Amino acid sequence: MARLLVYYHAKFLSYFRRAWEWCFLVSSLAPGAAARFLDELKAIVGEEYVYYHPEDLLVYEYDGSIDRGLPGAVVLPISTDEVRRVMALCYREGVPVVGRGSGTGLSGGAIAPPGGVQISFSRMDRILEVDTENRTATVEPGVINLDLDNHVHKFGYRYAPDPSSQKACSLGGNIAENSGGPHCLAYGCTTNHVLGMEVVLEDGSVVNLGGTARETPGYDLRGVFTGSEGTFGIATCITVRLLPLPEAVKTFMGVFPDVDSACTAVSAVIGHGIVPAALEMIDALSIRAVQNVMDLGYPEDAGAVLLIELEGLQEEVEEIGIEVEAALWESGPTLVRTAEEASDRERLWAGRKGALGALGSLAPNYYLVDGVAPRTKLTEVLREVAAISERYSIPIANVFHAGDGNLHPCLLFDERQPGALETIIEAGAEVMKVCIDAGGALTGEHGVGLEKKELMPLVYTDEDMDAMRRVRDSFAPHNRLNPGKIFPDGTHYHPPARRPEPGLSI
Amino acid sequence: MSRLGLSPPATLARSLGSDGVVPEERLGNFSIDGVVPRLAFCPTYRHEIVETVGWAAAEGLAVVPRGGGTQMELGNVPARYDVALDLSRFNGVLDYQPADLTATVEAGITLHELQRHLASGGKTLPLEAPLSSNATIGGILSTGASGPMRAAYGLPRDWLIGISVVGGSGTETKSGGKVVKNVTGYDLGKLYTGSMGTLGIIVEATFKLNPLPQRLQALTAGFPSIALAVEAANSLSGQVYAPQGIQVVDGASWLGLPADLSDVVSEKDEPVPGQAVLVAFVSGRVRAVERRLSEGADFLRMNEASSVRKLDEAGGRKLLGWVTDLGWERDSGHWLVLKLAVPPSMTSQALSVLPRALEGLPEPGTVADPGFGLVRLMWQQGSLDTTVDGHASVIVGAVGRARALARSLGGYVVVERAPLTVKRLTDVWGGEPAGAEIMRRIKENLDPAGILNPGRFSGGI
Ligand SMILES: Cc1cc2nc3c(=O)[nH]c(=O)nc-3n(C[C@H](O)[C@H](O)[C@H](O)COP(=O)(O)OP(=O)(O)OC[C@H]3O[C@@H](n4cnc5c(N)ncnc54)[C@H](O)[C@@H]3O)c2cc1C
Repeated sequence: MARLLVYYHAKFLSYFRRAWEWCFLVSSLAPGAAARFLDELKAIVGEEYVYYHPEDLLVYEYDGSIDRGLPGAVVLPISTDEVRRVMALCYREGVPVVGRGSGTGLSGGAIAPPGGVQISFSRMDRILEVDTENRTATVEPGVINLDLDNHVHKFGYRYAPDPSSQKACSLGGNIAENSGGPHCLAYGCTTNHVLGMEVVLEDGSVVNLGGTARETPGYDLRGVFTGSEGTFGIATCITVRLLPLPEAVKTFMGVFPDVDSACTAVSAVIGHGIVPAALEMIDALSIRAVQNVMDLGYPEDAGAVLLIELEGLQEEVEEIGIEVEAALWESGPTLVRTAEEASDRERLWAGRKGALGALGSLAPNYYLVDGVAPRTKLTEVLREVAAISERYSIPIANVFHAGDGNLHPCLLFDERQPGALETIIEAGAEVMKVCIDAGGALTGEHGVGLEKKELMPLVYTDEDMDAMRRVRDSFAPHNRLNPGKIFPDGTHYHPPARRPEPGLSI
Repeated sequence: MSRLGLSPPATLARSLGSDGVVPEERLGNFSIDGVVPRLAFCPTYRHEIVETVGWAAAEGLAVVPRGGGTQMELGNVPARYDVALDLSRFNGVLDYQPADLTATVEAGITLHELQRHLASGGKTLPLEAPLSSNATIGGILSTGASGPMRAAYGLPRDWLIGISVVGGSGTETKSGGKVVKNVTGYDLGKLYTGSMGTLGIIVEATFKLNPLPQRLQALTAGFPSIALAVEAANSLSGQVYAPQGIQVVDGASWLGLPADLSDVVSEKDEPVPGQAVLVAFVSGRVRAVERRLSEGADFLRMNEASSVRKLDEAGGRKLLGWVTDLGWERDSGHWLVLKLAVPPSMTSQALSVLPRALEGLPEPGTVADPGFGLVRLMWQQGSLDTTVDGHASVIVGAVGRARALARSLGGYVVVERAPLTVKRLTDVWGGEPAGAEIMRRIKENLDPAGILNPGRFSGGI
C-alpha cells in the first residue's frame, strides 16, 4: 500500500503521469488496498464527500498558479474530528496530505503531492464566534476572508488583512501563506492578526497553538505556523484579532504620465513620514486592460495610477491628507482625485480591484510574479522589469502594493503557444532575481510553494534552510504534510502538455 | 587554564583579547540564581560569538547569552551554566534606511541607543521595554518584553522582519530579510522571539519602523479603586479617540513616583493606597493627540475619575518610562513579581478574585494593561519575612492558587522574579504549555547538544 501511494520520493519523474495512474487505480475500485483505503475515508466523512473519479478530481488539480497535479482523492470533512481521523488514516497508510482552501494560491501550495489526499475545507466554513469584548473572531478554516470582514462590520469591527482575492480566499489559506493585502501596509499581514488555532498534526493528533490571551507561554508556535504553507499541520479552527472600524477614511487617486513619476510620489509620501493605510499602483498596461472592460474615466495617456488610502481620526485624515495631496502634486501628476464617501471610494478602487481580472482582455494567460524590493528602489526595479519585458518580448502589466515595495509583475502569454510557458517561467525568475539583487525578497505574500522552491538558494544558504527543515520536522517528523514544497529538490510540477482551452491560469 | 579548569581555544582567546574575557574575580557579576559561570566573554565581533558557540557545542558547555542583564532573573534556575556570553559590546547599527523605514542592528545595542539613532532620521521603533537604557535588542527579542502601548502597537514579534542567530551547533543562520513584507521560507523570527535564548543566540535583527510621532503625551486620572479604573479603561478603549496605551496602577505604587514626576502629576488630592490611577498614553499627529487627550479627559471625568491631568511631552515620556519599568527596577527591591495574562475581557474578573488566591501574602503593587489582558503583581522586599521558615511554601501555595484561577479564565501566571527559595519549589513558567512536545522537538532539533541556556525555559527546555 505505502509503496503504491508514496510517489513523491521519486525525483525527476513525471509526477503528472504518475498521478493519473494512481487516480485510475483508485477509480477502478479494484479489490485491494486502494479500495479499502477509500472505503475507510468514506466511513469517516460519508460516501458523498470522497471524490476519486478523474472527472470529479479535475477541479482540484489547479490552484491559482501555473503548476498542476491531480490528487489521488479529495475529502471534504465537516469537523475537526473528521479531519483528525482522515489524517490518522493517511498517516497509518503513508499517504501524503495537503489542505485546500479556495485554491486561489499563486505558488502551487494546494497542489496535491502525487498520489496524495487533498482535504478541502469548503464544508468547514462557519464563523463560530465574534467576541467583541476580546475583539476576536473564531472561525473554521474554510471561511472566506471577505465574509468574515463583512460579518464583523456589523459589530463595528474589521478583519484587517485584505488580500486582493478576499472575495474567494479562505482564512485557512491566508494563515498558511501569511497573506497580505493593500491594507497590510498600515496593519501588518495575517501573522499580526492571528491569535490562536487548533491544529491537526500529520499523525492525527490535535494541538492548540496560541489562544485568546495575547501571549501564551513557551515558543510562539502559532507565529511560526503562520506562513508554513500547509507543511506543519492543518488548521481546523482559527482565532483572529479584530480592529475597530476607523472614524474617517479618505482615498486619493493620482494619475501620472509614467511609472517613474508615480514611484517618485511613493517615495515622497513615505518620505514625509506618512504610512498610509494602503498605497497601490497600477501601470499603463493594466489601466488599458481595465479600460477594456469598464470605463473608469482615466485619462487616455495615463502612465500609472496611484491609490492612497488614509484612515484614522478625522483630524489625522484631514491633516495627513493635505500632505499626501501635496506630495502627489510635487511628483508631476496629470490628475488628483479624492473621495470620502464609501461609494466614491469604491469607484476609485474599482480599477485596482478589477485589474487582474481585466488582464484577460489582453492575453489568454498571465503569470503573476510576487517579489519585494526596498520601496526606495522601486523606480530602478521597475525599469529592470521593463527591460526584461523587452528582452523576452513578453508584455508585463504591473498592479501592486507599492507602499511596501511588493511588486506583482504579470507576465502575459498564451499557453497554447509552444514554449510560451517555459519562457515566462524563465522571465519570471529574472524578475525575482532583480528584486533580490536590489535587497528584496523572493516572495512578499504568495509563498514559495512549488513555484519558487528552486530559487530559495538565491536568498538562503543550505544552513538557513536546514534550520527551517528542522523546525518543520519538529511539527511533522515524517514530512507527510504537503511534501515537496518550499525547499529545492529538483522536481517541478509543470504539466508536460497544457490543456488547449483558453482561460486565465491564475 | 583557569582555576575552574576551563579556558577558550587559543585562537578564540586571542581574538577576544584580554578585555573580552572576564577575569575570574568578576565572574560573580554574571551569576544567575546563585550559579556562577566558569567563564564569561564579552565579544565584539560576530565570529567570536560563532566560535564560542561552536567550541561550547563541541565541549558540551552550557552557554547563557546576556544583553544588558536587565531580565536575567527571568526563567528557572539554570540546569547548567558554564559560559556567559555578554553581547553588550556587540552593538552596532549595521544599516538604517529612514526612507525605507527599516533598520538592521547587532543584538547588543540598547533600545535607548537604537531609538536615539533612529530619531536622527525621524523614525522610531514603536516599542517600549523595561530599563531601555540597558535592555538590549537581543534581550528584548529573547524575552518578548513590551511596554504600555503594546495593545496598539504590538510586540517585538510584530516589528521584526529579519533575524540572524547562532544555533546550538555554532552555525549562523538567518530568516527573513530587510524588506517589510516577506514570506520567503518559514518565519523563524517568531520562534526566536520569546525563546529566552534557548534556540539560538540572536546576533542581528532587522525591524520595520514607524515615523516618529509628532507628539507623545499622557493623561492621568485618579479612581477610588482598581476595579473602577479598569472598568473605565475598558470603556475608554472602545472609543474612537482611545489613547494608544492605557494602564492602571494601584495607589501605593503610584506613591513611589520619583519626585520630578510626582510634582507634575499630583497635588493635594493625590490618591492614597487602596485607590488607583489610570494612566493613558497618546501619540501621533498634534491635532489628533489633542483630541484624544481632551475627549479622553472628558470621558474619564464622566466616569468617576477624581482628578484628571494632562501631561506634556516631557512629563508624558517620563511617565511612560516609569510605568514601563515598574517591577523591573534593579534597586526598587521588588523581589516577587508575578505576571498574570488572561484574555483581555477577563482582566477585571481576574483582579477581583485574585486577592482570595493570594491570601496569606501582603497586598501587592499592581499594574494592569486591561486592553491586553496583562497584570503585574509586585511585592517589595521586606513586605514578607523571608527569614521565617516556610515562607517559600506560603508563596508557592499562593502562586499555585493564582495559576488555577488564571487557568479557569483562559490564562496563566509567570513568576517573573522571586527569591531563590521560591524558584526552587516551582516552575516559574507554570508547567507544560500546550504544544510542549513540539517545543521539545524544536529545541532538540535546533540545539542538539542542549547547550543553549539549558533548563531555564518552559516545559523543562
Ligand atoms: C486574483 C488574486 C489576487 C490575489 N491577491 C493576493 C493578495 O493581495 N495578497 C496575498 O497575500 N495573496 C493574494 N493572492 C493569493 C491567494 O489568494 C492567497 O495566498 C490566499 O491566502 C490563498 O487562500 P486559499 O484559501 O485560496 O488557499 P489555497 O490556495 O487553497 O491554499 C494555499 C495554501 O494553504 C494551505 N491550506 C489551506 N487551508 C489550510 C488549512 N486549513 N490548514 C493548513 N493549511 C491550509 C494549502 O495546503 C496551501 O498550501 C491572490 C490570488 C489571486 C488569484
